[in-house]
Amino acid sequence: MDETGPVTVPAQRPDRGAHIASLVSQAKNGSEQALGQLVTELSPLLWQVARAAGLGTDDAEDVLQTVWLRLVSHLDGIHTSGALTAWLVTTTKRESWRVRAAGRKQLPVDEGWLSGLPDQAAGSEEQAIVDDDNRRLWRALGQLSPRCQELLRIIAFVSRPDYQAVADELGIPRGSVGPTRGRCLAKLRVLLADDGSGGGR
Amino acid sequence: MKPQDKAGSAADAPLDSIDLEILAQIRDAFAAADPMPPDLPERIRFSLALRDLEVEVARLAATDREPALASRGEEQSRTVTFDSDSLTIMIRIDSNGDGTVRVDGWLAPPQRREIEMKTESSPLSVTTDEQGRFAFAIVPRGTAQLIVRPAEDGPSGASRSVVTPALVL
Repeated sequence: MDETGPVTVPAQRPDRGAHIASLVSQAKNGSEQALGQLVTELSPLLWQVARAAGLGTDDAEDVLQTVWLRLVSHLDGIHTSGALTAWLVTTTKRESWRVRAAGRKQLPVDEGWLSGLPDQAAGSEEQAIVDDDNRRLWRALGQLSPRCQELLRIIAFVSRPDYQAVADELGIPRGSVGPTRGRCLAKLRVLLADDGSGGGR
Repeated sequence: MKPQDKAGSAADAPLDSIDLEILAQIRDAFAAADPMPPDLPERIRFSLALRDLEVEVARLAATDREPALASRGEEQSRTVTFDSDSLTIMIRIDSNGDGTVRVDGWLAPPQRREIEMKTESSPLSVTTDEQGRFAFAIVPRGTAQLIVRPAEDGPSGASRSVVTPALVL
């Protein structure tokens, strides 16, 4: 993955939380570069949050800009990677609802992401297997409630160290030993297991 | 129900490696089906490059996006409205026909403010009149952002700068 790729840093980098916290503290001291790195790292997640809330692409772009601009005045209360990610996710959801409530160009719910997905053209055999897995995944996701679809779409883009903070924010119950799977992922897992050889290969 | 019942899929079980694999699959699927526009982080970084520490954020409230290219080649004007807690900023953008645009703007409520137009080259700066009007006669096309700052002789309560998101002229 190059640096513009998906945001999630592999779990093998336990220093990620410390790295993000350090960027936050540099950003507080006025480092545009540190703030820019946070933007690069976390915007792909926020894009999915805004799109999952039903915004069109133009509105989603506006909302992301607004959220990052608002963060500048809120950095003082944020000290950890988890707190930053949770604040950004929540604020993106709120700003997205605000835009929807204002009645600007919005997607009817049933014209959301599920129907807008491209048909995969036939490719190599390897590609065909990936496509098959993908089709099974979309099929299973499509059977979940809209709330579960939105929630899974969001947490899938959250890096592991931030998972608990975001899960708390989104109302996934906390287990005694750490993050739990939650109702939505549990349901999806059953659906995937019932549909062919399962998604957990 | 034991956690291993129903293919180990109890909702209150801790995340395991299969869950993480499924989440990774979801992430890859959405990243491919609905990717963030690659130039968006750059635009966000542009709008965050501010010398003001305390800012009030104006949100895009309305825009009448004309067709990108009018039929006769002559581009139409476009109006964009931004709202913040204390101000409404309305601008009209007209093509100068030479690769630059003219931007006319109004602040409501009317007041004297210093207006900076940040562009991809050097920033431009004007002061509004008593009616809150301002104009930039020549602005290069590209990414731009407005920053409304307190004016020397402006209202005393207006201490914070108001910033808009970056927009493409």
